Amino acid sequence: MADIIDLISSRRSVRRFTDDPVSDEVIDKLIEAARWAPSGENEQPWRLIVVRDPDTKAKIAEIAKLGTGGRVTAEYSLSDYWQRKFAGVKNPETRARLFKTMYTGQASEFAGNAPVVIVVIGELYDMFDTPYDLSCAIMSILLEAHSLGLGACWVHGPSVYPSIVKKMKELLKIPTGMGQYKLIATVSLGWPAESPKAREKKEFEDIVFWEEFGRKERP
Amino acid sequence: MDEKIAYFNDLLVRLEEIFYHELSGMTHPKVEYVGIDFLRSKNIEGTTVEEILDNCIKEITAGGLAEEVTYSRAGEGILLILKIKNCIHIPMEAKLQYGLKNEGGVAPYMCPIANMILDRILEVLKFQMVYNASIENIDTETGECSLKCVIYESVEKIGQVGDWRDL
Repeated sequence: MADIIDLISSRRSVRRFTDDPVSDEVIDKLIEAARWAPSGENEQPWRLIVVRDPDTKAKIAEIAKLGTGGRVTAEYSLSDYWQRKFAGVKNPETRARLFKTMYTGQASEFAGNAPVVIVVIGELYDMFDTPYDLSCAIMSILLEAHSLGLGACWVHGPSVYPSIVKKMKELLKIPTGMGQYKLIATVSLGWPAESPKAREKKEFEDIVFWEEFGRKERP
Repeated sequence: MDEKIAYFNDLLVRLEEIFYHELSGMTHPKVEYVGIDFLRSKNIEGTTVEEILDNCIKEITAGGLAEEVTYSRAGEGILLILKIKNCIHIPMEAKLQYGLKNEGGVAPYMCPIANMILDRILEVLKFQMVYNASIENIDTETGECSLKCVIYESVEKIGQVGDWRDL
């Protein structure tokens, strides 16, 4: 077995892609990676809708923009959350650009420019852990994509509103009953046109306790 | 009757707690459908936001869900401020506030009254997006709540930010 910590730690969320097509062979590998993800009771609730049609991707992008932009416009105008979030960005122009990317919804709109969008949904009926199973499947896709040299980014934010999920389901002809399928996220991917720097990560000792909550020293 | 209302509010408290525990900070958008059925059954009509609001408020007060609902608009028509007095759900808010203060509980994030009003704006006026952004204040002593919601008539309205904190 190979240690994959380098693969895991070098993965980035990539939102800009070249126009180069992603072959069926590559897409099949991504689906295969999802297929092998763990799931509660091995129920494998995941269903993946691979979207390459430009019109459909554009509509997905518009729906995602509504969700993210609608929320962040309000958050930006009503609180200092985004000011705090980007407090570490010292350059005012860069900060302003980042703010705008968020409150206009552009941050979630990149699906429209990705060669492939995988919409991750899961069965609900007779399942046990659908949201968590789907998250595992997404992680498998992201790691496989990275290992193949692809860039990818998953977007969950717009999927938090039932009204926006309904738009997505209607667009993709997914049954809309609340007990039928959960749409958890989209994964946009393609050959990367950017190399994002690593995001700041919490320190090892800040996230681990030993034997019980709050115990910082390793026994 | 009061005991029945208390019972149903207690159910909502438990559901709010469970939802938050399960979903963390993005819980409040997930519950946007809670409460919408009351006004969906009332044939609310109107061609402007104000007409919809007035007709919603008539039904809400006539149905005894709240004693008074007033509103104002700001932020280029995006921001909708609702003030709700003596709402049937005040006991739920009070219980959540107590739990937050004393038991590491959950801050109130769900307002069925705002949800039902926003749903009518979305569906009847065909707005692009509505969102209960902030429950600003819950005064369980006076029975008054104030909320800040956003309503986007078109995609172009997304991103029209301002400083709405003191409005």
